[in-house]
Amino acid sequence: MTETAPATRTPAALAALVPVLRDICGEDGVLTDASRRRTYESDGLTHHRSVPGVVVLPTTAEQVAAVVRLCSDRGVPFVPRGAGTGLSAGALPHAEGVLVVTSRMRRIIEIDVDNECAVVEPGVANLDVTRAAAPHGYYYAPDPSSQQVCSVGGNVAENSGGAHCLKYGFTVNHVRGLDIVTPSGELVSLGGRSPDAPGYDLIGAFVGSEGTLGIATRITVNLTRAPQKTVTLLSAFTSMDAGGRAVSSVIAAGVLPSAMEMMDALAIEAAEKAVACDYPQGAAAVLVVELDGPAAEVDAQLAEVVRLCGEAGSFETRTASGPEERARIWKGRKSAFAAVGRISPAYIVQDGVVPRTALPEVLRRITELSESSGIRVANVFHAGDGNLHPLVLFDDTEPGAADRAEEVSGAILDLCIEHGGSITGEHGVGVDKACKMPRMYGPDDLATFDLFRRSFDPDGIANPDKLLPTPRLCGERPGVRRGVHPLVESGRADQF
Amino acid sequence: MHVTDQPPEAPRERDQVFGDLLNDCVHCGFCLPTCPTNVLWGQEMDSPRGRIHLMTQMHTEDVLTETAVGHFDNCLGCLACVSSCPSGVAYDALIEHTRNRVEREHERPRGERVLRGAIFSLFPYRRRLRLMRGPLRAYGATGASSLVRRSGLLERISPALAAMERIAPPLSSPPPPLPPLVPAVGRARARVGMLVGCVQGAFFPEVNTATARVLAMEGCDVVVPRTQGCCGALSGHSGRSEESAAFARRLVEVFERARVDRVVVNSAGCGSSMKHFDRTLAEAGADDAWVRRARDMSAKVVDLTEFLVDLGPRAERHPLPLHTAYHDACHLSHGQGITQAPRALLAGIPGLRVSDLPDKEVCCGSAGVYNLLKPDAARELGDRKGRDVASTGADALVSGNPGCALQIASAMERAGRRVAVTHTARVLDASLRGLTVDQLLGR
Amino acid sequence: MTPAEKLQVEGCALRRGTADDAVGTLVPGYVARPADADALARIMAVSGRRGLTVVARGHGTAMDWGGVPRSADLVVDTGGLSWIDHIAGDLVVEVGAGTPVADLFAVLEAAGQRLSVDPVREGGTVGGMVATGVSGPRRLLTGALRDLVIGMTVVRADGVVARSGGRVVKNVAGYDLAKLHTGGLGTLGVIASVAFRLHPLPPALRVVTIPLASRGHAERITAALRATTVVPAAVELHWPSRLPPPPSTDASGATQPTRLPPPPSTDASGATQPTRLPPPPSTDASGATQPTRLPPPPPTDADRTAPAPPSPAVPHHGPCLRVVLEGTPEGLEARTATVLSVLRGAAPREGAAPPGPQVDRELPAGWGLLPSEGTVVRVSVPPAESAEAAEALGALAGRAHGTDAVVTGSVPRGALFVSFAPGAPAGAVADTVAGARSRPGWSATLLRAEPHVHAAGVDPWGEIPGLPLMRAVRDSFDPGRRLAPGRFADGA
Repeated sequence: MTETAPATRTPAALAALVPVLRDICGEDGVLTDASRRRTYESDGLTHHRSVPGVVVLPTTAEQVAAVVRLCSDRGVPFVPRGAGTGLSAGALPHAEGVLVVTSRMRRIIEIDVDNECAVVEPGVANLDVTRAAAPHGYYYAPDPSSQQVCSVGGNVAENSGGAHCLKYGFTVNHVRGLDIVTPSGELVSLGGRSPDAPGYDLIGAFVGSEGTLGIATRITVNLTRAPQKTVTLLSAFTSMDAGGRAVSSVIAAGVLPSAMEMMDALAIEAAEKAVACDYPQGAAAVLVVELDGPAAEVDAQLAEVVRLCGEAGSFETRTASGPEERARIWKGRKSAFAAVGRISPAYIVQDGVVPRTALPEVLRRITELSESSGIRVANVFHAGDGNLHPLVLFDDTEPGAADRAEEVSGAILDLCIEHGGSITGEHGVGVDKACKMPRMYGPDDLATFDLFRRSFDPDGIANPDKLLPTPRLCGERPGVRRGVHPLVESGRADQF
Repeated sequence: MHVTDQPPEAPRERDQVFGDLLNDCVHCGFCLPTCPTNVLWGQEMDSPRGRIHLMTQMHTEDVLTETAVGHFDNCLGCLACVSSCPSGVAYDALIEHTRNRVEREHERPRGERVLRGAIFSLFPYRRRLRLMRGPLRAYGATGASSLVRRSGLLERISPALAAMERIAPPLSSPPPPLPPLVPAVGRARARVGMLVGCVQGAFFPEVNTATARVLAMEGCDVVVPRTQGCCGALSGHSGRSEESAAFARRLVEVFERARVDRVVVNSAGCGSSMKHFDRTLAEAGADDAWVRRARDMSAKVVDLTEFLVDLGPRAERHPLPLHTAYHDACHLSHGQGITQAPRALLAGIPGLRVSDLPDKEVCCGSAGVYNLLKPDAARELGDRKGRDVASTGADALVSGNPGCALQIASAMERAGRRVAVTHTARVLDASLRGLTVDQLLGR
Repeated sequence: MTPAEKLQVEGCALRRGTADDAVGTLVPGYVARPADADALARIMAVSGRRGLTVVARGHGTAMDWGGVPRSADLVVDTGGLSWIDHIAGDLVVEVGAGTPVADLFAVLEAAGQRLSVDPVREGGTVGGMVATGVSGPRRLLTGALRDLVIGMTVVRADGVVARSGGRVVKNVAGYDLAKLHTGGLGTLGVIASVAFRLHPLPPALRVVTIPLASRGHAERITAALRATTVVPAAVELHWPSRLPPPPSTDASGATQPTRLPPPPSTDASGATQPTRLPPPPSTDASGATQPTRLPPPPPTDADRTAPAPPSPAVPHHGPCLRVVLEGTPEGLEARTATVLSVLRGAAPREGAAPPGPQVDRELPAGWGLLPSEGTVVRVSVPPAESAEAAEALGALAGRAHGTDAVVTGSVPRGALFVSFAPGAPAGAVADTVAGARSRPGWSATLLRAEPHVHAAGVDPWGEIPGLPLMRAVRDSFDPGRRLAPGRFADGA
């Protein structure tokens, strides 16, 4: 847990910067008052906290560049922040640094239908791009669960995905152009309306760099044509293995759903209690499959998926194509996390990835872990791409329970690594998992990451202590989240 | 009735409840996009998530800084954050408690104190408000109390009044006050009380007339107690809990005496407040018996639209060929969770087309007396809403709250895009009576 | 020259370079063929310690891509790194860099899967395909080649083996360094292996070939297609430089190009320098080293070009658009019908109507391949300007110089290639490149240029946005700039 005592004063080194920052961002664009700065002490992962030395709220790329140049000249660290919804403490402020918040840069500069792209400032909310594109029959494909809040700039930093990334990919697959402010304060344009920018694919490497390579100030994203038809299917099984077989056979049959989600018995039970989602009685596993595309293709695939679910042992399959019916199917899935929060006083959400073929084995091992430790684990996950979100449930009033839950949660990540997976599928590394990076990558791999980072940021001032392990950070125990996480409740939001 | 004087809930217990409510927030940020001040200024301290953080600072460290008060004051109390919160954080209770503490502990600068004093000497009183209108305006201005004149309130209020003169010209003689009982047309299906309201009653008496007529035509005996006063919402939203509680007590007594099944309200802000009179009294330290009486009363309070939808239509709807845009008053949609009922009623009128506004969750900036206290922010929000209304191309804007009507009409006046503004009750009334569009819009 | 014994490492065959190993005009001192990634790491470490310049090579089908390397002491042949680890159930494959693309495709096809990319060259290796990084026509559904790479193992210039990404599709741990190496032309490291995400083979496909009457016709069709929801896998343009190609033209310019013998070497080869092959003659008599917008120099014999050789991607037909649809037979029927009805609505308004569209069930021969010879310029434009660009580039390439060239590429991605017939004058290339670079939002790079084009000083890269950052990346991975120096715009 990273937590600094509430800073009452801006550190002296920063105080000297404040007048210059005010010249750059204007009086109301610089926050030095302690109580104001404190409201920025964490992002969506609140057990990591640190009060920023000073907060700036630039409104233009030039202001961002000037602020960063000043930081670079004075050797002061800076941390970029969008909407502050991240789940890996990637926007954790630096106590002696400048927090650069893009929340006032939220113009949709253009919806360019002819070129099928949108040009936006980094503070624009993900869903607002889709809202602006929708009248033209387009949408912005990456759909992280916090999409109504999270900013496109933050999505770029985290390479955000979403439930539908199985078919449509992540942010990196949809960014065509970036204006960035480098850690030395230069404003550089990469790509634009024309895809395939010449030279090294810096856009590809910048997306997902968690704010360690600079700040995106203008983003050109692809717009995707809204599909002609979307169908959602719910299939119930008497065992997780049977559900897993259905997933495998759908994939083997050459069907690529836009989303394929699975819940186990504990998760279903919780969802029923919370939102009465009315999933088939006696289901030990449910599979939610969404298909989209040209109507004729969707119809053909739907018949195939229904048949395959039946062959895998499904005892009931429902399909829905209207928005309301589809929402009813998704309701249980989307509320699962909140529901689990209601049946347990505290829980840890893990985010790990395993190869899809390893899913049955890993799920069995998770069950064993749960049984041997006495800690309950509910499983809600993206079956299509092997992204697990085990919920490790415990009672934080019971002595030692948090530690045992933390052990189980860590052991699940070990399982992911052991099976050739990843320590994070979508939440990012940030501060939260920086210390776990050496479990996934060797020293040479990490050193190479660091070489790359330093090619952008030789002085190490851009979002320091994130993404890569540092001695200062590591060795501390990662924290535990209590209560219902809000990315998910009441069926409107979901958490992955 | 025998009432025991129970000791009021101890402040320490209330503090603990406050602390627990604060802990419900897990910082996800889902409240940000619909918060009007976040829309305006894009900074954490002027978002619900940031304000809750400031409340936590206030609560855990027991200090109330000038800075924090400023950000609490900036909150419009529109409650959009309550609608968007996946964790069910009771921001309404949080901000009300916080405002009470601010009013108790914080010494405001003199000018601000005078302005607030003037507002609350004027608004909760229908008769004083009526003096501000039309031919009486000049007289009203000169005749107003010296407090009102000194405060600068008249300057702040006059643009809205001027707009109102144009959208709802005062009748040469004000409509006669509603009789104490408007009998049902045909067999009575319910006996309801009706709130007249201060702003509604003073500035939009025709809305009240329409409301009573619609209720009667739908088969209700409508009781309109003469002695009813303000519901106390404006005071309560500004942290004046004692004043608010006094108004609440009076209404509880008045409507207890009226012996009605339901208390129908046509003003969103009043309805929202009246639905939690128990909390208002508890916050002001009332005893348990009073809190119980208030809770019983609150249980009877319904918005006109939800009541009519529940009741089901009986009177014939005549066609009204008109393109309208419906504006969700915050205290109807966020405060009471009512969004479908008014749309359903309007959709039931043949020939009437209803458009939604873009960003319909975001407040228009009226927010009780906010437009008087924070005119700049309110104006900017009003201008945004005006642009959104214009973007629909509708000929009339329908809303369920008098403050919103004034705010949006004056914003559209400023932008030179005049639009007729009217109340759901008047549209229904016109349809039930078979009036023409021109008659409805006074053209 | 470093003595051979100092380069001997375990698991790595070493021999002297020959003219067959030439990189552009440079004959390398040695050719090393490591048997596996470890041996590759060892030879890279040794060459790093010796300060040797290194050029990686797969099957050598793209050695002339990018700028001309200034030095090549050692060629590293990745042919030994040939293996395929196909995890069919995960729709993932990991492949050694030296694996022939054809072998990989055969293995995947047998399992009903594919790597969803149309190679632009025949006969290459996987490492070469990724290092050159060009995506063919079918990139609309599943993305470009770079979107399919999920992990990579690279040997750095100093011999350090570095992995990024992994074998799972969803993974945000660490930097996505594979993006840099994809299209990096081997200048940031030598690719040892690549992991890809795969897709199921579609049950069927349809190719709708639409002859084009004019640029306006092309624009109307593409706009109309955009408005549909048929979800094509490719919308590929074919636009010859001469429009419409009068049948007589080909016959009239019938002088065969004369390949002049190379002039004598002007460089004395030093002991440690690789032998420098003589450059071909500069075809720009003026010796201009800048891309020029001046009128072209008077044609010499060599300037007169023959019709393009019978290369599959430069067929002798007029401009056309090919729409590829993939899916189930049932679905394809409806989608093809939609495309055809859209075409009727976008019929040409001017000039003689071209023949009607043709529907095939198979891709044409040579689908997606760039010509195997001649200069190719890659031009990126805002997609809506694709047809305009094709017309303008075709005019620049062809009319002024009487050159045969063809513009191909993905219209919805604005990814165009101008392929010149072998021997096309440098002036034509220079004009095309300069014309494209003068337009806001357009970029043009020499994907591959004939020696005389390089010799004429046509800048392969031009002003690339972000170049200082790219150089910084290059310097951190390869501080001595020993990996194919000169191939990338790394400022000698």
